[in-house]
Amino acid sequence: MRLYDIVVLVTPDLTDEEAAKTAGEYKKIFSAGGANLVKDESWGKRRLAFPILRKREAHYHYWQVEATPALVAEAERRMRLSDQVLRHLAVRVDEELKRAAKSAERQRAKAARRPPRPPAPPSPAAEPEPAQAERSQP
Amino acid sequence: MRTGGGSGRPGARGAAGREGKAGPRKKFFVRRRKVCKFCAEKLEFIDWKDVKLLQGFIPERGKILPRRISGTCALHQRKLQTAIKRARSIALLPYATD
Repeated sequence: MRLYDIVVLVTPDLTDEEAAKTAGEYKKIFSAGGANLVKDESWGKRRLAFPILRKREAHYHYWQVEATPALVAEAERRMRLSDQVLRHLAVRVDEELKRAAKSAERQRAKAARRPPRPPAPPSPAAEPEPAQAERSQP
Repeated sequence: MRTGGGSGRPGARGAAGREGKAGPRKKFFVRRRKVCKFCAEKLEFIDWKDVKLLQGFIPERGKILPRRISGTCALHQRKLQTAIKRARSIALLPYATD
């Protein structure tokens, strides 16, 4: 099981409920395949940065799913076939998150090992003076 | 290291400033050091869903801001690049604008 971020853009021709229903179809694929839905967000109707199929907005639906690769491939295949889905994106995120957690841990350990440096650097003027003093002594 | 170097510099800079006041205007200005935003803020990973963050690296034209201008380090520029490209693919960010 891997963690995926999935975004689906549904046509603005549908109403909010209809769009949610079409997106729900894909959610069903995951739940039927024994996937674990971690996050389920609807970003609502958003303006697109550029027109897709002459459409300027779309219903955005976002999920974070713990699923097998085969399941994601199947969902993506069906999204591609659908006319209601303008675009979709499925990205694997578990490795990225793991790496982020690890580096956060490393930074915390580093901070614990080395307490903040005391702000008392020797002034550059202080150094030449002792040398002169030594020379004058003998 | 940093604090030590910093302590030495203010004196030198002060002297230069005094010279500047007495003489004609300086020909060059002190360039501000660019720091990688992601290193400075210790952001663990760059989320492609965070449009507000990514938009700061997209100038008017819609192109990705080069490293030499933003000061982002190589590692984070690479991650930023993939994040922006992902956001583009689902129309969160433009490929180009005119």
